[in-house]
Amino acid sequence: MERIIFLVDIQSFFASIEKADNPSLRDKPIVVAGDPERRSGVILAACPLAKRWGVETAEALWEAQQKCPHLTVVKPRMQKYVQASLEITNLMYTFSDLVEPYSIDEQFIDLTHSLHLLAKTPAQAALLIQKTIYQRLGVKARIGIGPNKVLAKMACDHFAKKNERGIAVLDRETLAERLWPLPVRALFGVGRRLAHHLERMGIRTIGHLAQTPVTVLKKRWGINGERLWLTANGIDHSPVSPASHSRSKSIGHHMTLPRDYMALEEIKVVLLELCEEVSRRSRMKDYVGHTISVGVRGARLDTPIGFYRQTQLPEKTNHGPDLFQAALTLFNQHWSGYPIRSIGVTLSGLERASEQQLTLFDQPLVKKERLNRVVDQIKERYGDSALLRAVSLTGAGQARERAQKIGGHYK
Amino acid sequence: MHIVVEQNRFQEAVNQVAKAVSSRTTIPVLTGIKLEVNREGCVLTGSDSDMTIQVTIPTHENDKELIKVDKLGSIILPAKYFTEIVKKAPGQQLELELTAHNVVKIGSGSAVFQLNGIDAEEYPQLPSINENQMFRLSAQLFKTMIRQTAFAAATSEARPQLTGVLMKLENKTLTMVATDSHRLSRRTAQTEADESVQFDQVIVPSRSLSELQRLLDGEETTIEVLISSHQLLVKTDHLLFFSRLLDGTYPDTDRIIPDSFKGTLTVETQAMINALERASLLARDGKHVVKLNCQPDRLEINSTAPEVGQVVEQIDLVRYEGEEIQIAFNAKYMLEALRALESDRAEIGFTGALSPFMLKPVDQDDLLQLIVPVRT
Repeated sequence: MERIIFLVDIQSFFASIEKADNPSLRDKPIVVAGDPERRSGVILAACPLAKRWGVETAEALWEAQQKCPHLTVVKPRMQKYVQASLEITNLMYTFSDLVEPYSIDEQFIDLTHSLHLLAKTPAQAALLIQKTIYQRLGVKARIGIGPNKVLAKMACDHFAKKNERGIAVLDRETLAERLWPLPVRALFGVGRRLAHHLERMGIRTIGHLAQTPVTVLKKRWGINGERLWLTANGIDHSPVSPASHSRSKSIGHHMTLPRDYMALEEIKVVLLELCEEVSRRSRMKDYVGHTISVGVRGARLDTPIGFYRQTQLPEKTNHGPDLFQAALTLFNQHWSGYPIRSIGVTLSGLERASEQQLTLFDQPLVKKERLNRVVDQIKERYGDSALLRAVSLTGAGQARERAQKIGGHYK
Repeated sequence: MHIVVEQNRFQEAVNQVAKAVSSRTTIPVLTGIKLEVNREGCVLTGSDSDMTIQVTIPTHENDKELIKVDKLGSIILPAKYFTEIVKKAPGQQLELELTAHNVVKIGSGSAVFQLNGIDAEEYPQLPSINENQMFRLSAQLFKTMIRQTAFAAATSEARPQLTGVLMKLENKTLTMVATDSHRLSRRTAQTEADESVQFDQVIVPSRSLSELQRLLDGEETTIEVLISSHQLLVKTDHLLFFSRLLDGTYPDTDRIIPDSFKGTLTVETQAMINALERASLLARDGKHVVKLNCQPDRLEINSTAPEVGQVVEQIDLVRYEGEEIQIAFNAKYMLEALRALESDRAEIGFTGALSPFMLKPVDQDDLLQLIVPVRT
């Protein structure tokens, strides 16, 4: 049975949310952008009016302001967007029980078995979903419809986003006619580098790729080559799985520093803060981890310098200070003293914390756990910055600032 | 160098020293086996710098000539090719002759090999050992002690000391301890040693000991064990086995061995092993948590593997004294510990659901296995 998959994408998500929240902005060109002072001065989202002026996502704020002098700049409110995204997910669950959030503003929905309850045709159902989202949140949704996830995604990106209704269907019958003429870089999963390689092989359109013998692609790119070929031919068997975000393989945090850090003493502060964040999130998800990795990027972007290294922890843990000890050792081994722009810590090799092998030598384990539980409860109740390490209050500390942010932007 | 040697005997010796040769070594000459012919016989040496094995084939044994020596000399031959050539040699005898420029002619039956070697001068010196710290025990006993302890050593390098087996000697009593911090094995035995000989904090890599255990197969003699600050040397009639010792301080394990118990269970070892093996059938990736419920008249194990299923089994117990206990542990640790007891009946002492429990053979106090439970 042919499946019916929707990809629901929200137009200019952050900007649309801001406009819905503040009607006085409705007819003005606006962008959501970070604070240039703290190195986050890029355009996160631009409304369609701003885009008409040539403003693009991910360009620097000053560039956008040059293109559109009367641009309204709105500071991001990440918490609000996350909530809106969750609200949309919950709305989607009223249409089907198979909903997979794909990004903050995109969701896959499998309507194969519930379409008949909603409408006669998929396009009618899409209209209904658009209406529901608009009524609830005041934002416009674009919907790609296909027999699988990749076709739904490409229907949305290449067609729904470009037509008035914001709804487009891509199925196997129309594939050759509609998708194949597009340049190969428009294919889901083809980046700039890969497109370049393909073009050099004479593969310029998706159609060319679809008709290239799969063996040729497999020989060059292995499984990935085969996957490309399948995608170009509109074949994708992956299910819409609500669980795909719930089981993590690793838990990591990363921060771009507000200024370059040069002194070990300062770097240690943020390293500890990252370890505490990682350990807290591991505890929230009931994980202990066996491997810790530290990644660092140097200050000068033109001469890339840095490292990404990992080590095994003596025992599986989710205790911040234990992670810090290992992270610091790694850092000291691989850092040669250059200024640092960004740093990250990741815990992997995750296992359920609730079924834990106890050890002979780590008897204070119970004590650590009791401490962690209390700290977590305090933060849960009074906010992330309610309880901080003293070093976090020094000039180098970022914990206070980060407590107010999500993904590097203000809540 | 020019000898004629009996193929069987020579092959056995080559295989023994080849165990110490690693293809991944930072010292290229150690990919070879050193061959030295002197008046006593033929001495073969293999090493990976952590572990060195030297085997001597005497010219004569029990009035039988093993080696016919024409000319003395020495050479290093690449182990990879040399072991295979010796193994596949067609004749009863092997003729080895060093011709010019480090080339060795190996003849057997109708086959003749020319194998390029390296000057024996290049081979590293054997470690020197101060013979004061020495004890003797039977090869079989030492083998048993290794078998009963080394498996519990850590495989992860996170705490390097724990990848070794601790050896200490006091009042002629040798104690061997291994732990990966989740379980611990301890075995003691009497040795022949001078009263004055005692040592502590000798940590031998468990990999070396496992290799040694295999080398001692079929060895019925008494062996000598010598300890220096960085090396262990085990001597038998024809074998020298050197191992580097691990640096670091071994944790104090005496204080974590319990001496009083909340409950003591006696079971038939094999029955328990069989039941645990059945309970482990549902295990995936080797980590399997099994729950044990002990009551004076009833012993039950059960286990649940998410997405696979579950199992419950009642086991006949010989005796249980103490309060009811419910405890969870990794089945693999329990199985390995039970097998290492090498005893018909096992006595298991519990100290609580979240603290270590101890296994030992009934009526025997020189061996114990400690397992730390899993919290569920």
